[in-house]
Amino acid sequence: MDVYNKEKQLRPGLWETVNERYPGSMITKRDFIPLARLKKPLPESRLTFVSTAGVQPKNTLPFDTAHPIGDYTFRPVPSRSKPASLEIHQLKYPTIGAEKDLNVIFPIERFQELAAEKIIGGLTTNFFSFIGYNMDAERLERTLAEEIADAVEAEKPDVALLAPA
Amino acid sequence: MSLAYLKEAVEAGDSEKLIRYVRLHFGDGDEAAGKQEIDKAWIEALKLLLDVPETNREFVEKTVAETDATTLAHLYFRLHFYFVARSGEWIHDGRI
Repeated sequence: MDVYNKEKQLRPGLWETVNERYPGSMITKRDFIPLARLKKPLPESRLTFVSTAGVQPKNTLPFDTAHPIGDYTFRPVPSRSKPASLEIHQLKYPTIGAEKDLNVIFPIERFQELAAEKIIGGLTTNFFSFIGYNMDAERLERTLAEEIADAVEAEKPDVALLAPA
Repeated sequence: MSLAYLKEAVEAGDSEKLIRYVRLHFGDGDEAAGKQEIDKAWIEALKLLLDVPETNREFVEKTVAETDATTLAHLYFRLHFYFVARSGEWIHDGRI
């Protein structure tokens, strides 16, 4: 039996009490972060995707879900990947739906379809994934966020879609 | 809990806050569940040794003697999840 495969995973009410259970864990940011406006129409724009879903190509080093303070690394995920070549290493959100259809959390096939249908101009060679369980917010901002930003810029996207898991 | 919260607890010698964090980590935010998970991992490890099977003691001693403490601490956390998974009773929402 695969110990990870369960039929019932959702725990109602979990997130309503997060600040009570994890005092000090709620990160607030007061800096104004301007949203970028599109410079080209979508059919001419190359899209990249950045996700906290913990999705990674099979046979790459699993995200470190055991570490008590978190994992400050990311994985490039080739945008041409098939879901069968990817897997999730993440403990802190219910993955049962995503195990059946990865697109519910990491909609890679939907992006491929949008590009094929010319609704968007194309996809960057890689998407990017990391895990959101990181207790050191400063390290997250100083290292992981900067490294992902550099990696994203290197792919020269016109649009970056960010999605929490 | 944020890292600052934990470091303050270390500074103040507040063991309760620290062990609570460990339990919350292992219990995905449920302290009582985390306590049970810690017990579960130790029980699983104990069960494996009841018949005094031959083990690789050289590996154990060499690893402890020659590996830095931070890597051993990391391994300690990783082994917890190994034994919990081995028990067949997995409470977490995802996979390690």
